[in-house]
Amino acid sequence: MFINSVILVLQEIIEAALLISVLLVFTNLFQKSWDKSFVLQTSWVGISIAIGVVGAAMYSYYTPQISEMFDYVGQEIFNASIHLLSLLLVCLFAFLVPSARLAKDVMGRAKFAAFCMTGIVMLAIVREGSEIIQYIGGIAGHEDNFTPVVLGGFIGAGIGVSTGVLLFYGLINLSVNWSFRISVGLLSLIAGNMGSQAVLLLTQADWLPFTPIAWNSSSALPENSIAGHLMYALVGYEATPSILQVSIYLLGIVLIVISPLFRKSWPLQHSLVGET
Amino acid sequence: MKAVVHSASTSRKNREMKKYLLTPLKTLSAVAVLCFAIAAWAATPEIELIIKDHLFFPAILEIPAGQKVRVRIINQDPTPEEFESFELNREKLVIGNGQTVIFIGPLEPGEYPFFGEFYPKTAQGVVIVK
Repeated sequence: MFINSVILVLQEIIEAALLISVLLVFTNLFQKSWDKSFVLQTSWVGISIAIGVVGAAMYSYYTPQISEMFDYVGQEIFNASIHLLSLLLVCLFAFLVPSARLAKDVMGRAKFAAFCMTGIVMLAIVREGSEIIQYIGGIAGHEDNFTPVVLGGFIGAGIGVSTGVLLFYGLINLSVNWSFRISVGLLSLIAGNMGSQAVLLLTQADWLPFTPIAWNSSSALPENSIAGHLMYALVGYEATPSILQVSIYLLGIVLIVISPLFRKSWPLQHSLVGET
Repeated sequence: MKAVVHSASTSRKNREMKKYLLTPLKTLSAVAVLCFAIAAWAATPEIELIIKDHLFFPAILEIPAGQKVRVRIINQDPTPEEFESFELNREKLVIGNGQTVIFIGPLEPGEYPFFGEFYPKTAQGVVIVK
């Protein structure tokens, strides 16, 4: 029960932690390199976590009703919508925040960036958090599970948050250019993964047609190995993705690569990161 | 234990058809759409998977190759469970004393293990595709 609880909570926490780390690196970069009057407070993280936790509690409270919707595939539809909404926010962030239109309005830009990032993190926490609440709430209340489940949960959460902190400090200790480039690269994988997860859920609900699997790498890198879990949390690794999933994943990457955010991280002429 | 594959009874479908034949011509197209929907719905066979005492019944689900199947998971335990399978690429929460539906397949012949993520020690099963 204890080890199971560690793994389950770690799995959910690590995804959100890595996402928060990448977005915090952006906050850090913007603070460093943009106009001095550009005030992007780090407080958006606290706000989004707080709203996310409340949202997760509400989602798990209404899970019985939601799961019965659409002939018992309500959960899939709900979670796929969360993924697609997050993808939309990631695209708005990548396309509008660095755009010339907002260049004169530094406060507006800061607010818009904070709005996008708050939304993305909040949605991630609603999705991941509700599963933790279902697990802890449903299991810990029964039998003599309480201590091992809650203790395991705390340890899992601790490892997940630590991994996020490691990624954050690893990235901000690189040169500004490389920190920016790797973060944009990770954001493109995050975008691809959001689209791919939405496709998987809608296929599971039979709202999207079945497509054959694109490849099977389960012998090279099994999904239930430690490396497999980490890769799943970081880039959404799956050993047997469907062709439609892979296509949407690639589309997500392309969306970020054609965005102004990507052009700023790989400037054609000057290497002035985040020049406004 | 083996799973039973059942589909909507043809007599019920016939009754519905007869009823609709009496309606005016105007609604013919709508009826056609409805019949098509019923036919499409009936075309996906359904199997039941029961969770009780953190065990799956039946623990072995046999399904034909190349066939999409609707799996109705009924949780008779008061605790929630999460149906998970790496091989099937499926993950779904089933609330305590609740039920849910997932679609699997069409699949290649082979064995596809699944487990309950909340009670993985006991809740184990396998889908055998023939």
